[in-house]
Amino acid sequence: MFDTIDFLNYLVNGSLVGLLYALIAMGFIVIYRASKVFNFAQGELVVFGGFIVWWMVIQTGLPLFVALPLAMAVSAIFGLIIERIFFSRLVGESSFAMVMVTIGLLILIRGLILLIFGPQVRPFPIIFALKPVIIGDILIPRSLLIGAVITVIVGLGLSWFFNNTRAGLKMTAVAEDHQVALSMGISVKRSIAFAWALGAVLSTLGAIIYLSGKSLNFLASDIGLSALPVALLAGFESIAGVLLAGLIVGAVQGLVTAYVDPVVGGAVGSVFPFVIMLVILFIRPTGMFGWRTIERV
Amino acid sequence: MDPAGIFATSFAHDAALVRTRPQQIALALFLIFLLALPILFGPRLLAISTLILISSVIVLGLQITTGYAGQINLGQAAFMGVGAYTTGFLATKLGLPFWLTIPLGGCSAALFGFIFGLSAVRIKGFYLALTTIAAQALFHFFVLNLPWFGGSNGLTLDPASLFGFAFATDISIYYLCLAVAALMTYGAYGIVRGRYGRAFVAVRDDDVAAGIMGIDVVATKATAFLVGAFYAGVGGGLWAYFVRFVAVDQFTLFNSIWFIAMVIVGGMGSITGALVGVVVIKCIQEGFVSLGPSVVSQFPSIGGDVVFALMNVFLGSVIAAFLIFEPRGLMHRWNILKRSYRMWPFPY
Repeated sequence: MFDTIDFLNYLVNGSLVGLLYALIAMGFIVIYRASKVFNFAQGELVVFGGFIVWWMVIQTGLPLFVALPLAMAVSAIFGLIIERIFFSRLVGESSFAMVMVTIGLLILIRGLILLIFGPQVRPFPIIFALKPVIIGDILIPRSLLIGAVITVIVGLGLSWFFNNTRAGLKMTAVAEDHQVALSMGISVKRSIAFAWALGAVLSTLGAIIYLSGKSLNFLASDIGLSALPVALLAGFESIAGVLLAGLIVGAVQGLVTAYVDPVVGGAVGSVFPFVIMLVILFIRPTGMFGWRTIERV
Repeated sequence: MDPAGIFATSFAHDAALVRTRPQQIALALFLIFLLALPILFGPRLLAISTLILISSVIVLGLQITTGYAGQINLGQAAFMGVGAYTTGFLATKLGLPFWLTIPLGGCSAALFGFIFGLSAVRIKGFYLALTTIAAQALFHFFVLNLPWFGGSNGLTLDPASLFGFAFATDISIYYLCLAVAALMTYGAYGIVRGRYGRAFVAVRDDDVAAGIMGIDVVATKATAFLVGAFYAGVGGGLWAYFVRFVAVDQFTLFNSIWFIAMVIVGGMGSITGALVGVVVIKCIQEGFVSLGPSVVSQFPSIGGDVVFALMNVFLGSVIAAFLIFEPRGLMHRWNILKRSYRMWPFPY
């Protein structure tokens, strides 16, 4: 039987999860938009941010209003370290080298997290109250709702920054072409460093919203792969577009999980983002709002 | 470059793989070593050698797709899985013999790879990496949800047999893998030196220029995926007969990254480099696995998960370090060394 209230529940919750994906995808896009590096290790940055927050709040016992800014500062420094060790040496290299280094980074960070924090499942601090928000007949988890608001604000703010400010436009030039940017007197290294710091901070923010009140171990990085189709649908250059893409992917995935999974009896919902990804790649690799200068045959 | 005094006087000589007497001797000694290996080594090392042979076949395919044709492929483990599952399915459900199932496994993997390779027609760079990651995810989904593959229980195979002789022992399966790997290596040398291999290299270096020279760029890219996935499928078939159990978690994205690390370490664009990469990485990997428990028993405080964690740290650092410091891999280092001793005492 078709139930309107159920349908609305699936739709709204799916969209909100989609906005969470959009926040993670924003990390991809910020790094791409300022350095022309596609970062496969985004999910690991999320897990790293999560562990930093866990360590500060649960292990060290800092109050939240101290711990959260401190965690973001630590992850920003982590992003800068990554840039300094790996990417400042790769300016102007082929996209194959860049992609493979981020994949190496994925494995490396995962190994380091396992070494430092271990594979155990940890309780993540409750940052947003667990009581859901109820509007009419629709039940919404509070963390997702607050997260959605934060995502929209951050998304619009960053979009304005990259499209309207001098610093943002400089980074856009770096994303277009390293050589051209260098010849125009733009510091490619500084742009990449800023991108990684910002990307790491966004990942920590994503971790806080995603994991609030849940459990945390290194497998939480799967959200990085789930966020890929969102970034792809938006096009890798559009920060505001990712909000819309997140809503679409999230809503569709929520509905597919609710209505198709019971029929097929399998995890269609979890593989569906990849189907979306393939369809986009085959039909329109630039996504909805990407630049048309995509590398293409 | 040939050593001094070696001049090709005929086309056959110029095209030959083995060009000098010392090379012939070295190759013969190496083959004798491989044939005598079961006598020289114990069962554990023999199993590792068999694994190295199987991985070589798969990495050769990846070398052709990525190293020669320049198409990033993060789905090699999924292609291998398609081959392994096809082999397993044909062998258990239809009872076909191994000399049919392994090539058919290769063909089905080639078809699967070809479909994903078609996306390379429109896109390249990391977009292609995304497509092949999607291949990995779809492979898992289909294997777990289609009714023929035993779901999460996997498939269990009988040993391969030929005229009543069963490849049931470690030694016999080693020889089977050796024969297939030697054949596939020879084939790989043939492909990359021939018309198709030169087309791959041209497309890798500059696809616009290749197109102007009259190469069908689209067909070449799709062929590269087809060939690479065929190799992966054959390797998967061998794997199915070696382990005699096929399960979906043997073919993860993580395995694909191991394969690509072997290509990077060995050297992109070199068949010998692929083999070197496999041997080096596999030996270090097995070193971690076998040294790990003794280290853990010495220092119980660090726990058994550390081995896995260290392996991750090693793999990640190796990929990054080679791309930053020596993007052309060990084979390039070796070639520099070879050139300098042939030139000695002249500096250039």
